[in-house]
Amino acid sequence: MSDALREQIRAFILENYLFTDDTSALDMDASLLERGIVDSTGMLEIIFFIEEQLGVKVKDEEMIPENLDGVNRIAAFVEAKRQAA
Amino acid sequence: MLVHDFDRLARERSASPAISWREGVWTYGQLRTAAGCVQQWLTRQQIPAGARVGLLMRNCPQYVASFYGAMAAGCVAVPLNVQERASVLARQVEHAGCQVVIGDPNHPEWQVLQDALASVVAQSVSIDPQPGVEGWTAFCAALATEGELSPVELPAAAPAMIIYTSGTTSRPKGVLLSAGNVAANARSIAAYLQASAQDRILCGLPFHFSYGNSVLNSNLIAGAQLLLEDTLAFPQATLKRMQDEKVTGFPGVPSTFALLLGRCKLADFDLSSLRYLTQAGGPMPRQQIELLREQVPQAQIFIMYGQTEATARLTYLAPEHLERKLGSVGRALPGVQIEVRRDGRSLATNESGEICAQGPNIMLGYWREPELTDAALRDGWLHTGDLGHFDDEGYLYIDGRAVDMIKVGAFRVSPQEVEEVIASLPGVQEVVVVGIHDEVLGQSIKAVIVMREGAVGELRAVKAHCRQHLASYKIPKVVEFSAALPRTASGKVQRFKLATTE
Repeated sequence: MSDALREQIRAFILENYLFTDDTSALDMDASLLERGIVDSTGMLEIIFFIEEQLGVKVKDEEMIPENLDGVNRIAAFVEAKRQAA
Repeated sequence: MLVHDFDRLARERSASPAISWREGVWTYGQLRTAAGCVQQWLTRQQIPAGARVGLLMRNCPQYVASFYGAMAAGCVAVPLNVQERASVLARQVEHAGCQVVIGDPNHPEWQVLQDALASVVAQSVSIDPQPGVEGWTAFCAALATEGELSPVELPAAAPAMIIYTSGTTSRPKGVLLSAGNVAANARSIAAYLQASAQDRILCGLPFHFSYGNSVLNSNLIAGAQLLLEDTLAFPQATLKRMQDEKVTGFPGVPSTFALLLGRCKLADFDLSSLRYLTQAGGPMPRQQIELLREQVPQAQIFIMYGQTEATARLTYLAPEHLERKLGSVGRALPGVQIEVRRDGRSLATNESGEICAQGPNIMLGYWREPELTDAALRDGWLHTGDLGHFDDEGYLYIDGRAVDMIKVGAFRVSPQEVEEVIASLPGVQEVVVVGIHDEVLGQSIKAVIVMREGAVGELRAVKAHCRQHLASYKIPKVVEFSAALPRTASGKVQRFKLATTE
């Protein structure tokens, strides 16, 4: 998995939900929902980020925790989508 | 009383599913046994009736067992908001005078909270709410007791629970509800929703706030099955579950429906089992109601109104009148009286004033706050702080709020709570917090800050500080730095002038 992509996703979450650039504040595997980092509306914003900034369209049926709930999960999802495109 | 109703029903329907959560189902019998373990454990620890028992768990069967177990022992349950930070939680536990706190060790603040609690409560018990059926065995084993649920007899006026709502960190505000309040409201709601053992209700509302609490109680005294939904962040998955599990009822707040309607087409799912949707927690835009009617025509839509001080519910609009009375919150529950009042007198039809209520669901008062209580419960009426009017047929309409409360999603936020936190940041001279319009949440929070001379305000520092001290929904979405605040001639800050975004 591309480290640059993971860093870009982590930076977005750190900046917008944890308000810091301390990378130790967010584990790449941590669940964003269970850790209370984002809530339902935050997840909607993350989907916008994926679509607008990372250029990957998220289909309705792809909006599931396995694709979106964590930095590594988002990165894997985005990469798979880019390769399929 | 409520827990007696539950006990009776759980004996009769012992093998029926009560709560399903994360692939596991607890039957009514198991839930009753687990609640019995809690009750017997409290008794063995010599926790007396009337003692406060804090609960810090997200929605799970273990929460329900602890809640009913505490009430069966005659204790006062204090459900804590799992989204809050340790400093607020510790203050609430201290304010409530909890003797025991039962909490989930996986809660992000649990470890920090332990230190804070050590000086306050006699004991804290951590119970890991494991999923599935194993969770039940583990729960009962953790309490190491056996024994039947055997609810103590209490007068209707005996305190049963405290719900903290919209206070500030330095001055928490706990709504004290009696055993009679909780039972009366749950029974009324179960009656008008015609809750029954055929129901399968999908619940994503937290039990620690009044709406979620009412969904829990009104269904579990009717023999319904509750399916717990951990998050509404994935609307597609929620709708699929509603379809696959043949859900019959779905309670939500306006933001719930905004999320569901935002990215998905409800009509794409087979929701033929769905007999109703309920909406409370603040006004829902008409277009959204109409969209729901269009997309799920088979479901009845109940528009409802109430507040924590009234246990949960004061009025509902019967679905058959929805079209004719669109915009109204309906009529009072049976046994509840509502008047629109001003200056101590009742107003005529179509006159706008403060909505006031009487009934068996009206709180005992604010815990340890006699002055606040006297202000809210004047002349025998609960003064809701909401403005409204009746039409010619006695249907109630909400016109606004008489006080500065902000509602984010369905959660009430006191501007003072956020102001208090921001004011503690070095360099801040003064700060005012207001609610601004938000497409999904109804309102979100805006802070306007005046820095001391020479101090430089930094957006991220403000948000990070708020995140450290406040639940995430209370973090201001918009932060502005200003040279001065708009004031009246007498020096009062004009909040309404700040409630616009640039």
